[in-house]
Amino acid sequence: MLSPHIPDLDLITYYSERKDSLFSRMSPWTKACLLFCIVALVTVIRDPAWLLGLYLIVLLLYLTAGLPAGKLVQWYAIPILFVVSLAGLMIWSVPGTPLFALTCCSITLVLSDNGLLLLITLVIKAIITVTYSLFFLMTTRYRHFAGLISRVFPAPIDQIFLLAYRFLFLTLAMTASLLKSVRSRGGSLARSLRVQGRLFASVSALVFIRSFERGERVDKAMSSRGFTGTYPLSGDVPLPGFPEYGLLVVSGAVVIAAVLASPYRGW
Amino acid sequence: MAHIHLEDGAFSPFWVIVWWAVALAIIGIALFLIRNQRKPDNRRITLAAFCVAAAFVISQVEVPIAAGVHLSLTPLIAILTGPVIGLLVVFIANILSAAIGHGGWGMIGANTLVSLSEILVAYAIWRGLKPFIENVFARAVAATLSGLIIGNCVMMGIIGLSGIQGSGLSMEQVITSLFLIASINVAVAVIEAFLAGLVVLYIGKMRPDLVDR
Repeated sequence: MLSPHIPDLDLITYYSERKDSLFSRMSPWTKACLLFCIVALVTVIRDPAWLLGLYLIVLLLYLTAGLPAGKLVQWYAIPILFVVSLAGLMIWSVPGTPLFALTCCSITLVLSDNGLLLLITLVIKAIITVTYSLFFLMTTRYRHFAGLISRVFPAPIDQIFLLAYRFLFLTLAMTASLLKSVRSRGGSLARSLRVQGRLFASVSALVFIRSFERGERVDKAMSSRGFTGTYPLSGDVPLPGFPEYGLLVVSGAVVIAAVLASPYRGW
Repeated sequence: MAHIHLEDGAFSPFWVIVWWAVALAIIGIALFLIRNQRKPDNRRITLAAFCVAAAFVISQVEVPIAAGVHLSLTPLIAILTGPVIGLLVVFIANILSAAIGHGGWGMIGANTLVSLSEILVAYAIWRGLKPFIENVFARAVAATLSGLIIGNCVMMGIIGLSGIQGSGLSMEQVITSLFLIASINVAVAVIEAFLAGLVVLYIGKMRPDLVDR
């Protein structure tokens, strides 16, 4: 029942905490700035050839870090489905040289070369950021993420974020065990909306109730230990080294060049 | 979480900045309201964190109805946490989703606004109908359905205004193309409203204090 195409947070955590590569030693600030540059480039660049080049660079980073390639292909399912489900409807109206036509119930849909190109471009853009996001997640330790979050977000967003990140694993385990118990009683069989609906509603309600109850227990435990609304962190987030500053300057220059070279300056 | 099914690069930089700026301004107002409470309530922070985790995990569970449905649960969050904390919950859940490829980083602003519209409408209907409808299930269904339909309209409005860069489509063409997906979303919204009603009914029986605060 837990979707297989959703990135496995336990696996991601395993790689981020256990793997030791050049990229896991890199400053999280550098990786965060590179994420910003990549999102900016993907937003500004419209040429599929340049985007393909950017994708190959990001993929190379991912593979060089020793991260699982097979899983990445599986995890592409959601972003690709996302794009196809929405852009797949729009491409039929895009003007251009017709490639083929489809007639259905007296409505003729025409797919043009520009329509197809739009879909391909959006898919490449999607997988570029997904690949880099997963690379970032799988090469950055939790304590560094926690440091980044507490410095970037104002209170209480940072507090909610940090607590939520910790609770996520508890809730995942709780949901998985609930679903397992449902399955062991034949609950996964699709019988009817009413039966399945009630079953799913009970599971969801139990997850919420248990989450609230656990939240209340955790709050009491934290309050008794002096929690006053701030969640202090120990340890620093490593700052970028000299070569990383060089990398950031080059990346920034590439973003500026891409903005200047793009039609309407990217706007 | 309710989502605009587009990833980074679909909107032009101008619209990415506009939606992010609007979302951040509203989040700023929510933070102001939280910080200016007479009595700081740390319990709400802890509960909000658990709500983020629960909402994120449940939205990843596939319900084996039709071809498989994922629930957005935004209206349910509004009912359980209220609009202010609910906004922070959906904002963080949208960031977590973007991190695993469920919506782009640049789309977080637009997605937060879609979720916000669902939260506000669902909460208003849930509270507004209380004097008239005693039945928790019926109120939750009405609140969820209204929230999701309005969220759907906001999603279409945001995509229509922003356009898809490089497509050459006008606003009318974009909105016309979205009608099919909007119809599918409304059908899913009916299923979600039914399920949300059952969830609220169940929670109401087990922990009535959670739904009638």
